[in-house]
Amino acid sequence: MSYLNNPAIVMDNGTGLTKLGYAGNDSPSWIFPTSIATSQASGAKTSSNQSNTASGAASSGGSGQINNPYFGNSTSATSFGNNLSSNNLLLSNNLAGKRGTEDLDFYIGNEALIASQGPSYSLSYPIRHGQIENWDHMERFWENSIFKYLRAEPEDHFFLLTEPPLNPPENREQVAEIFFESFNCAGLYIAVQAVLALAASWTSSQVTDRSLTGTVIDSGDGVTHVIPVAEGYVIGSAIKNIPIAGRDITLFIQSLLRERGEADTSLRTAERIKQEYCYVCPDIVKEFNKFDRQPEKFAQFIIENQDKTKQKVVDIGYERFLAPEIFFNPEIASSDFLTPLPTVVDHTIQACPIDVRKGLYNNIVLSGGSTMFKDFSRRLQRDIKSIVNSRIIQNEAVTGVKSTGVDVQVISHRKQRNAVWFGGSLLAQTAEFKSYCHTKKDYEEYGPEIVRNFSLFNMV
Amino acid sequence: MLHLRSHNLLIQKTLSEAYEANEKGAPLTLDRIVSDFDYTTFHITNTPDNKVILWVSIRTKAWQSVLQCDPNNGLVSFLQSKYANAAGVSVSNNTEPGYDFTLQIDLNALNQDSIVQVSLLKTMVLSFPFHLAFQEFAQLCTLPIPEDGSSIDSKTLYAIQHRDDEQFFIKASNDRITVIFETVFQDETDKVLGKVFLQEFVDARKRNRSIQSAPQVLVSHEPPLELQNQKTTRNVQADSSRRFITFVLFPRHFQTEELQFSSVSQLTLFRNYFHYHIKCSKAYMHSRMRFRVDTFVKVLNRAKVDDEEEDNESETQQHTRRTITGRKMVY
Ligand SMILES: Nc1ncnc2c1ncn2[C@@H]1O[C@H](COP(=O)(O)OP(=O)(O)OP(=O)(O)O)[C@@H](O)[C@H]1O
Ligand SMILES: [Mg+2]
Repeated sequence: MSYLNNPAIVMDNGTGLTKLGYAGNDSPSWIFPTSIATSQASGAKTSSNQSNTASGAASSGGSGQINNPYFGNSTSATSFGNNLSSNNLLLSNNLAGKRGTEDLDFYIGNEALIASQGPSYSLSYPIRHGQIENWDHMERFWENSIFKYLRAEPEDHFFLLTEPPLNPPENREQVAEIFFESFNCAGLYIAVQAVLALAASWTSSQVTDRSLTGTVIDSGDGVTHVIPVAEGYVIGSAIKNIPIAGRDITLFIQSLLRERGEADTSLRTAERIKQEYCYVCPDIVKEFNKFDRQPEKFAQFIIENQDKTKQKVVDIGYERFLAPEIFFNPEIASSDFLTPLPTVVDHTIQACPIDVRKGLYNNIVLSGGSTMFKDFSRRLQRDIKSIVNSRIIQNEAVTGVKSTGVDVQVISHRKQRNAVWFGGSLLAQTAEFKSYCHTKKDYEEYGPEIVRNFSLFNMV
Repeated sequence: MLHLRSHNLLIQKTLSEAYEANEKGAPLTLDRIVSDFDYTTFHITNTPDNKVILWVSIRTKAWQSVLQCDPNNGLVSFLQSKYANAAGVSVSNNTEPGYDFTLQIDLNALNQDSIVQVSLLKTMVLSFPFHLAFQEFAQLCTLPIPEDGSSIDSKTLYAIQHRDDEQFFIKASNDRITVIFETVFQDETDKVLGKVFLQEFVDARKRNRSIQSAPQVLVSHEPPLELQNQKTTRNVQADSSRRFITFVLFPRHFQTEELQFSSVSQLTLFRNYFHYHIKCSKAYMHSRMRFRVDTFVKVLNRAKVDDEEEDNESETQQHTRRTITGRKMVY
């Protein structure tokens, strides 16, 4: 029973990025795209690189850091490094010409992005809108991430996986089947992402009591969810989602760059501009004026090529504040979804039972990469407050009863970007964690249905 | 096949990040837990008073038995000699509590090569009994060969308990070194697949001429002769799914330092590769099963009769508009 000493493994597989690591750490060990490059069945693969497993260890260390697919944590799901055609960074799978082994010939993560630049691999993303779509690919993605990246024998570890809100129970069962039958993992806990994000917010100094009540705004790559949670239970009927997330913002920036005819309009450039320059402004009209008065205040973005010999200069324009503004005025970019985020949050909370609403307004927690824009929380708090206040005034006018007021608080904290993973790590390092998991033995006795229910963590 | 590196990628990544950050003048605050196969845990931290000095500690299941391989307690000095030439790495005298061994790392003196050396720490520990066996071999092969041509076997059998229920053994002779792995499976499916795989290990060498130079592999139910008078194989006979895999290394597999390193690092990863590939096969079968179910569902869907619609037709006729040849209008 010495696996009791082994740290649990926390995996948060998102639409864009996968966050992997051992419980007890304060940040994920690996962050790479949830992507897989599989060999094209017919492709005659000419692998030019020699396999050197034995000396691989000694020789692989020398290459430059930025270009090594193993180093650095990704912030992008679609691009890696300097777009190099660098097949020789990969250790060949050495399966060329071996028939019947196509299923072993694949790469994941950043290696997949590199491999797919060649002709013999095709790239795919097994997760769409937070839910697993391609189980074959996902199974292989997990297998590789466990053995190669985490170097763990799944029989010796407990696992904490995450799932999006409103995940069908059938999907949970599939996950359990893979983890217990393929991997024989010692134990499994599947947590709802929003609940983990709430747990992660306890590190914030704004949070005084460690309750599991609050509204989580989780905005990642594919979709933005607004999820009310009361005492650790997700109020499913009130969840709302918004079809605007990281990828849409990047595409919007790209379209603006294209319209202006900038020197580089790649997705990668657009994404970097988004992550490094964009911010949320308090008033869009004023911001436009400010920009027109002193355009030089708005940065230029310089791209250097690999050897730093050539430079491309991309001007940054209104997109700097306009891109995140999509959350608050969706009509800028979308024609079919028009409700601003603060209104959606308000509707969500209004759809919940009246006795928990106060707690939900009080603790609005941000999570995910696309909530990282500067001043995002401040603007959100202001806008929700004004919606709530105007309703209170209206009510007071109608009923003539004085309201006690509602406190709106949007919480932003340092672990926000990988809040889901971090919350998972917090839970999985506690001593009780293993008692909440379903074990291999339970699975064999009751079958996959057991994972439909997990008892809730009650932590102090 | 799918590669597992002999060094730990995550340690390499963490140390490289720490190194880079230090280069830029902003050393990281680290407190990381990293794990490896077979109950191995690493802990990477800053020393309390200096951010530029790191400790990398290892705790591994195999430590106790590796330590006992040498009555002269040579393990620590062996590791010391291994890290003597790695820039910026030294063996710490104060082993971190709860861990077996601690390396001290000076970020200012570190380089890429010594980072790799540190990430090989677990392999280094496991290579100690091999190192002893290589030394013994060197002694034994200087002895005169007996008249009858039989081999001279060493008296010592190194037993390394690398998992709760599994060990591996090393024995030197004057013409070869024998490495024996015990395997046992918990899962029924794994047992069956494992059996097939092991048979394949034995057969592949016979079938495929290009791998003739690989070490010979034998698989048996019974403990091989080398283990016969080994006390630690207690309940072995009772357990029917236990198998013994014997690798026979000839001098060509360990003549040079590089060969020794590659033989050792591959042998120490043997069990992990083995289990990894069993899991890959299961994943493959699952995807075939999903494919099957999908095709069955397609067949069933095709066989479905749209009878409801046909039945209702007479009643709803006036509501259903048709073209002149009787095709249904689709709105
Ligand atoms: N500093 C930043 N500013 C703005 N956007 C960012 C920043 N960092 C990351 N992002 C964006 O966040 C997205 C990834 O976020 P995250 O990892 O939370 O998503 P995910 O978990 O993969 O997806 P989902 O939760 O929707 O399944 C990417 O679109 C990325 O461009
Ligand atoms: Mg996510």
